[in-house]
Amino acid sequence: MRESGAGRCGLSGLRCNSAPFPLPGEGGLWRVLLPGYSSEASGCCAVWVAADGMERDLLRQALGFHGPALLSLLRTEQHDNPDFRGLLPPGGPSLEPPREAQHQPPARKEKRIDNIEIQHFIAKKADLLFALSWKPSVSTDSESNEENEDCYAVMPPLEQFMEVPSEDRRELFFRDIERGDVVIGRISSIREFGFFMVLICLGSGVAREISQLEITALCPLRDVPSHSNHGDPLSYYQTGDIIQAAIKDIDRYHEKLTISLHSSALPPRLSTTKLGVISSEDLPLHYRRSVEVASTSETYEKVLHHSLGFANPAVVEFLLGKLGLSESSPPSLMRGLQSKNFNEEDFAFALRKKQSASWALKCVKIGVDYFKVGRHVEAMNEYNKALEIDVQNVEALVARGALYATKGSLNKAIDDFEVALKNCPTHRNARKYLCQTLVERGGQLEEEDNLLNAQNYYKRALILDETFKEAEDALLKLRKHMQVILYFLLTLSTTIKTPIKNIGKGEIIYWLLRLILLFPLFTTHLSQ
Amino acid sequence: MEPDQAASAQTGPGATETKIHFKVTRFIMEAGVKLGLRSIPVATACTIYHSFFTATVAPGPYDPYLVAMAALYLAGKVEEQHLRTRDIINVSHRYLHPQSDPLELDSHFWELRDSIVQCELLMLRVLGFRVSFRHPHKYLLHYLLSLRRWMNRHSWERTPVSAAAWALLRDSYHGALCVRYLPQHVAVAVLYLALHCYGVEVPAHAQAQRPWWQVFSDDLSQAQIDQIVLDLIQIYTLDAEIS
Repeated sequence: MRESGAGRCGLSGLRCNSAPFPLPGEGGLWRVLLPGYSSEASGCCAVWVAADGMERDLLRQALGFHGPALLSLLRTEQHDNPDFRGLLPPGGPSLEPPREAQHQPPARKEKRIDNIEIQHFIAKKADLLFALSWKPSVSTDSESNEENEDCYAVMPPLEQFMEVPSEDRRELFFRDIERGDVVIGRISSIREFGFFMVLICLGSGVAREISQLEITALCPLRDVPSHSNHGDPLSYYQTGDIIQAAIKDIDRYHEKLTISLHSSALPPRLSTTKLGVISSEDLPLHYRRSVEVASTSETYEKVLHHSLGFANPAVVEFLLGKLGLSESSPPSLMRGLQSKNFNEEDFAFALRKKQSASWALKCVKIGVDYFKVGRHVEAMNEYNKALEIDVQNVEALVARGALYATKGSLNKAIDDFEVALKNCPTHRNARKYLCQTLVERGGQLEEEDNLLNAQNYYKRALILDETFKEAEDALLKLRKHMQVILYFLLTLSTTIKTPIKNIGKGEIIYWLLRLILLFPLFTTHLSQ
Repeated sequence: MEPDQAASAQTGPGATETKIHFKVTRFIMEAGVKLGLRSIPVATACTIYHSFFTATVAPGPYDPYLVAMAALYLAGKVEEQHLRTRDIINVSHRYLHPQSDPLELDSHFWELRDSIVQCELLMLRVLGFRVSFRHPHKYLLHYLLSLRRWMNRHSWERTPVSAAAWALLRDSYHGALCVRYLPQHVAVAVLYLALHCYGVEVPAHAQAQRPWWQVFSDDLSQAQIDQIVLDLIQIYTLDAEIS
């Protein structure tokens, strides 16, 4: 433990001599403290040891809000949890209430029954609530300019309905505004060094009610792009123009803002925003709504219900995307519903596939029985039925292919076998039947004198199964056949000596055929 | 510790019935995930289920699991995410008989399918064909959006209030909150609890004329919020008792 003098407990803000200071910059490491180590300890609750795997900042925030009672509850509920090691076991020294007034925000109410209930709840669910995996995913359009009324109900700022006093609104505005935010205002005066404008509203996803706060911002001359090669860039602007600009610099203490009209001042995600003069129709929707509500003083709920976007059937999906929540693995605080406990095999898709395969197999079996007794038509019906139930069913494809082959539709058979083999490359029957059918088809082609195609088929069979004897034999036989033709043609060509003028049509065809046939044969012959 | 809580579990439906409904709604939620149902149809299915057993003597002659399956089927139709009865039967069969094979296409299967369709008609009649509900989800999402803009963006980014609120809302369907309270009130209460879990203070809460939850639903009172939150926590206590 680091030795240090009197300091403040990071948890309750009380002075405590024993506490080394938890400095957020130090990797968030806090030290455990037992009250009672030092007689001058003010009875502060234990400072937190870094709870690995948990969001320490969140924990700290929750503990700061609820106070020491939550800490003792957490110890009780989570003492089995290794992620909360560093927690003292229950039965540790009892906590005394701090002597000083609680360092709590004034809004904290007196302890009520349900506060205790809530604390119990938090303690029990702490390992889920503070788990790192719940960090909200930063969605890419979380701060997009799109205030699309058709998709959801665009509402005026919340503080308008809450009627927050202007000093607080001002204070919070200057706390939360950042460089790169887009602001919209009206020019109030133009000087030689730039112009001043009074802010009306914000334009980049942060919406605040600031029009009555009389916040002025200065746009220096160098941040005004020039609109012509000569002349003063400021002459383009007039008092009363509505300007959209980007915040360049903030002096939070003096409440001074500097803005710029150059798009280089914008962050990358907003780089398409148009800066400069805009018209009143371009004012953001939330501001226009806010003006309406100011005059009609409707309630939030009324505005919500009157919005067209609220009735959009897809509003839930849209807003889930905007907030970064997922429908496919939804969060839950019930232990039984954590998505990691779900097994893929129990899902509807997987079950349906398994069931389809099983049903299709039954049909195939019936079909094969029909096939064996020669009732080919019924067999084909059964196979087709099976393939309707399960389109890629391997057994059905192989069986149907065999039926096609038997009936002589060799091409269809080959197609079926190929699809089957693609789905299940290890299926022995599919491979065997495919090779046999390829060779058979090759034989048919050979008889039709379509020798090249025949050769291709034999080769395919051999690629599929190098040990397939029939294919090898057929290929050799074919090649010998082709060699014979080749020599025959060669001898013919050497014996014919006909003058060109007397060449008739039949002979031209014969020469053409010879050329076509001979050239590839030459190449294959040479490549052997 | 909580004598009033034990009493509230006895009033209304009996304790065993509450437990049965809890288990069956757990089944609906799990089946919803496995069938790829979105949050709203799952919520509709649970609401239909709770409304049905509020309207009839519970559980009576009705098999709660069959009612749940029919509720899922009906909810898919109402919320335009149609489910096939075959998928519902497969998932339910696997849930009730773990690790078993899917059913064969025999008479038993067709009987099951018929039962679902018949039960669906019965439910429609019991509910007077009023099966379109307003759910808290839309309200909650808009509230979250409004709150996000008001809060400091960094503290919002590091606090998973949206995820916690959404989880609480989804889990609330294990009980019959959807039937007893208005959707806006449920949404506000869920958000209230989520903010409390992380110790988040809504900025300028004390200085404002109206508290934020009053803004979202002007006919709501702190006592009502507390009551809903208590009911919600009670559901989780029930979960711990059952499992």
